[in-house]
Amino acid sequence: MAKHIMSLTVNGDKSEFAVDDTDTLLDVIRNQLSLTGTKRGCTTGSCGVCTVNNDRGEAMLSCLTLAREWDGESVTTIEGLEADGQLDAIQAAFVEFGAVQCGFCTPGVIMSAKALLNRYPQPTEEQINEGMAGVLCRCTGHIKVKDAIRNDFRLRHDLANQSKNKSDNDAQEFKPEPGFSYTGKK
Amino acid sequence: MLLPEYNFHKPKTLDECLQVLSKIGDQGQLIAGGTDVVFNMRLRLFQPEHLVSIRSLEELQTIEELPDGALRIGAGCRLEDLSHHQVIQQKYPALKESIDAVASTHIRNLGTLGGNICLQTRCWFTNNSEEWRKGREGCFKTDCEHCHVIQTAHRCHAINNSDTPVALIALDATLTLAKAGETREVPIADFYRCDGEDFCILEPDEMVTAITLPAIQKSSVFLKFTPRRGMDFSLGAIAASANFFNGKVENVRLVLGSISSAPIDLVGPAKILEAEGLDDQAIEKILPLIRGEMGELTNLYGRAGYKKQIARSLVERAIIKLRELQNG
Repeated sequence: MAKHIMSLTVNGDKSEFAVDDTDTLLDVIRNQLSLTGTKRGCTTGSCGVCTVNNDRGEAMLSCLTLAREWDGESVTTIEGLEADGQLDAIQAAFVEFGAVQCGFCTPGVIMSAKALLNRYPQPTEEQINEGMAGVLCRCTGHIKVKDAIRNDFRLRHDLANQSKNKSDNDAQEFKPEPGFSYTGKK
Repeated sequence: MLLPEYNFHKPKTLDECLQVLSKIGDQGQLIAGGTDVVFNMRLRLFQPEHLVSIRSLEELQTIEELPDGALRIGAGCRLEDLSHHQVIQQKYPALKESIDAVASTHIRNLGTLGGNICLQTRCWFTNNSEEWRKGREGCFKTDCEHCHVIQTAHRCHAINNSDTPVALIALDATLTLAKAGETREVPIADFYRCDGEDFCILEPDEMVTAITLPAIQKSSVFLKFTPRRGMDFSLGAIAASANFFNGKVENVRLVLGSISSAPIDLVGPAKILEAEGLDDQAIEKILPLIRGEMGELTNLYGRAGYKKQIARSLVERAIIKLRELQNG
């Protein structure tokens, strides 16, 4: 079958590649761009581990989306959350609360959490349950995930303060040390 | 599971899309959000020669208030956008409730209202992979004249599992169906056929382009019963709507979904409620009648006896909720 040229902006980088008609967005992200953070799970829309965010910061399933339907659009994957070597606040919250068990669902869970927080910066319990309903952790580690989401707002605040202090002091690049906790404790 | 091969079309305008559809006829399959189509293609339930994407048709993505106060929703509007639409939240609460009941945010961010209306019927035998189905011979839905759920059946008993049509029927919505050079308006209550195989009246080259909700505002409720609370297909759904006027109840509509191959409009019980109001005596009177209105039941996703009980409870709860709205 003939290949078709399409373009896609992933994490801010626009690239062009040849795809088959039957390629999904997940195939393109994993196989063509080698961004293997996004996982392949059930491929039928039940598990949510393939979650990526669209250009409006909303969660969507890349396994049920045909690549050619998304020609010219942009998506964010788990690799795009970190900026300048610094984790996003929600990632930092997952680290601090240990909201990871085997880790397979984590990229999907974090992208879902990110989309939830984009819509509701301080979500209620009901909004968290609703927003995270589409993604499953087979290790059943949902409680710590919810803890991390509840504390994202505080961490985001702390991170903003840190980077403000940093620019006040000097222009030295901020690098997290091993074992560094984003609340300032060691 | 890999996807079957097909030719991909991505028309830019509605006219172009209708032309493509008329050319390919019944070899074509429309795809908008893809959450149902891609899934069914993976199971080899759909093996279209041509796939027509309507994701970029802007004509289908508008919501407009018509001069007479009606609301016209493009079939390509995403469910999540509709759920946050102010007019829908205020005037058609049952529709908002039914949209929120559809799957998860992830899927509502892709899925469209037109797609949910045309959702393929589901069955616990057929909705498995091709390899799994090979263990037995086919059924009405694949290639044989046979049903594995009800051995004596003469038609496919797959269930119409979508939620929004239930609310849309209760709200007296109308569908606009278009094909090349021709459009027609059909009340959504007449859109479905009680046949799991050929579940709606759409012709092969026809598509749903818009959903129109009437200007007359009704009080409405929607309830859905699922095995899992987070995200699941329903075992039963109900929408109820009515107008309250000087203590009287008018234009009552009770619609049951996910019980049969088409949503069930409970006409008889609705008439009784109009005559007697929403009090406990009226509820007592109509509950025994519901089984008769439901017609042939299947064992799909729960035994027939269980479905009977779910339907009774849902009707009762919906009327009580409607009564709360009446009493303010």
